[in-house]
Amino acid sequence: MEQTLKRRAGKSPRNWLPFWLILPTIVVLLAIQVYPAIYTIWLSLQKRTPQGWEYVGLDNFRRLFGMGLFDESVGHTIVFLVGYAGLTLILGFFIALLLNRNLRFSGLYITLLFIPWIIADIITGMVFRLLVVPDYGLLSGILQNPDIFPPNGLSILTAVRPPSWFGNFPFPPAPAMIYLILASSWRALPFITLLLLAAMQTVPHEIIESSRIDGANGRQIVRHIMIPLMLPTLVVALFSLTLSGMNGVGMVFSLTSGGPGTSTEVLSYLLYSIGWRQLNFGRAAALALLIAIINWLLIAGTLRVTRLQQRSE
Amino acid sequence: MKAKWPLLAILSLLVLVLAACAAPAAPAAPAAPAAGEEAAPAEQPAQEIDFVTWYQYDQNNTDPKSDERVGNAYLRKTIPEFNAAFEGKWNWVNQPKAFDKMNAELVAAVQSGGEVPDLFEMGTNWVNLFYQNGTLQDLRGWAEQQPWWKDLDPSAIAACTAPDGALLCIPMSERPHLVYVWKDRFPNGFPRTPEEFMKEAERLKQEGLYAITFFGSTDYDGEGLTRAIWTTIASWGGSLDDGQGNMKLDTPENIAAIEFLREIVQRGYVPEIAFAGKFQEEEAFKDASAASFPTGLFGYRYVNPLTAPDGTQYSKGNEEDMLDAIAAGDVILEPFVAPEGKKPGCGIEVNGFGIPVGAKHPEAAYDYINWLMEDIDRNAEFVLGPGGGFPALLTTRSHELFQQPFYQEAAKALSQSECRPWYGSLMRVAEAQSMVMQTVYRLIKEDPTLDIATELRKTQEEYNAGN
Repeated sequence: MEQTLKRRAGKSPRNWLPFWLILPTIVVLLAIQVYPAIYTIWLSLQKRTPQGWEYVGLDNFRRLFGMGLFDESVGHTIVFLVGYAGLTLILGFFIALLLNRNLRFSGLYITLLFIPWIIADIITGMVFRLLVVPDYGLLSGILQNPDIFPPNGLSILTAVRPPSWFGNFPFPPAPAMIYLILASSWRALPFITLLLLAAMQTVPHEIIESSRIDGANGRQIVRHIMIPLMLPTLVVALFSLTLSGMNGVGMVFSLTSGGPGTSTEVLSYLLYSIGWRQLNFGRAAALALLIAIINWLLIAGTLRVTRLQQRSE
Repeated sequence: MKAKWPLLAILSLLVLVLAACAAPAAPAAPAAPAAGEEAAPAEQPAQEIDFVTWYQYDQNNTDPKSDERVGNAYLRKTIPEFNAAFEGKWNWVNQPKAFDKMNAELVAAVQSGGEVPDLFEMGTNWVNLFYQNGTLQDLRGWAEQQPWWKDLDPSAIAACTAPDGALLCIPMSERPHLVYVWKDRFPNGFPRTPEEFMKEAERLKQEGLYAITFFGSTDYDGEGLTRAIWTTIASWGGSLDDGQGNMKLDTPENIAAIEFLREIVQRGYVPEIAFAGKFQEEEAFKDASAASFPTGLFGYRYVNPLTAPDGTQYSKGNEEDMLDAIAAGDVILEPFVAPEGKKPGCGIEVNGFGIPVGAKHPEAAYDYINWLMEDIDRNAEFVLGPGGGFPALLTTRSHELFQQPFYQEAAKALSQSECRPWYGSLMRVAEAQSMVMQTVYRLIKEDPTLDIATELRKTQEEYNAGN
């Protein structure tokens, strides 16, 4: 029977159709994903010399781990990701809850809310920077007022980071990092809000109504009905935020350039600096691989936690 | 056999895709005529050929407020002149590039076998990095045969020379660093020693003013190091290397220089905006709230409009503002302060032209360079335009354009200084720049309690681990 099927599959010209149909996709994937990935791996094992590329094994990785700035950047990235993803999800959820109440003009609110999303992150960074440039920024008059921010006022772009509570881990963050998180969240908020609003609107009204009749208050409805039913969307939102936060460089580039000092030097910006400022493409490729692995671990970890949670519920 | 068809097709495609995507081997540099040989006359092409250049200037940008208006206007004027001079042979096509990305773009283009220009406008701070990456052709054989070669300032040639002796650029202008000073802020003259400086700075602070502003942030991957930070270190007799390509930071001179910087920052003699990055430190000099500003000679064209301490406005909003302020005597140019017994130091960068490996028409670049070098007026015009410094050709220095107050003031200040490139024998200049500036920032601004010698040692060890 099996042999007959195999023979038929070999003889029938129609059986090739799926292959030819997906061939263009395979070609595109090979060109834009497989080849760059293989090239990055190759590059991470090379060093440039005046004579050309030289194989150095894992030396680029060793040098990377030996950089003081690498450890620091990992810390900054964690602080940024937690702050950015956490703040955006929480704010997005609450704004979605408000919009879900069918307020008057909610269509207008949604349209207005969407504006930050259509602005490029590099432009957002520049605008936020102009707001707080010392002495000349729109908000610097308020921020640098010692009566409001004693004892000397607050200069976001130049204020040094407070002493760390946990050894070398950069927490609490510098004002510039907090500002960077706020600016990034401001830009990401519309998309996340709309995503969550769409998920919220799929929660059946009957369930909410019956839970109300059973005596559940608003918090209980959110906690025990809405969040579990929206969990897949929340996970997608978390993915989106984690990946954009991990890999985005435009906002850091235009808002703080990793400063003051190295206070906002996150891994993606470090990658840009090593590659495109220092022209150390080998070490940059090594860092790119590490970032890819971290991305993968973050996604795998989030998925695992979500699955466990779903099972327990 | 047929079942293996898809696999074979995919494998063939993979090979094709890899072959298509693989960087073509970087073309070998066309050999420049060897020393002793007559420079090969450029072959007369049958029709006009595009001569492609990369400048940080844009001939199509006519905005009078553009930061780069001087270079933009220069290109707008000279491109037609060059094309007329080489009619039927070359057609000059300039591709404008961002000043802070063009070096990286060139290195990437050469390494990937992409399109590279025939001529590249560059600064010598990156010579070692270009050498390390095999980016530029050796021009020595050709250059030494040219009539203007012996007229070039030897120190400018040295700045263009790679560690193996190859000449990676033709120097056009020299951009030393000095201090722009609002004269009225220092009635007793600009201080000569750190002690005098501290006294004057305290006086200015009591008046609600700052003694100095400088590029104090870590922005642009430590660009600030090449400016006031290096000027200070050089004035204290320090250096960043041991002459053998190793970083050497923990010297008494460097430590003393950083102590001075730390003191002026911590005592509040420097405005906060000096640390904001994106060249914001200039703002404090523009309104005279900061009395002095160590930066490059080239910088005069970016710092405008100006308001003098007595309220005089220089408000054309272009490079003439600073020149007018200097001509009026409101702004003077001075060497930096230096401890007793030391000569004020300063950084210097040479601006010039390189010919990338893989350039299609290097002979067009040769013609262009000769066109600029063989006519003193044209050479002077270039140096005043994109060059933005002192001419590397010694003859051009006597040109009337360089007898104006700005250049005279600058020459006077520089005669009292000793300028040298900050990077010395360091090869990984961009990495070194970033690392040292971050350390200096940490020491002078972020945590003034840190031990200077310890932090400097840590930085040099991290750098030297990569040698």
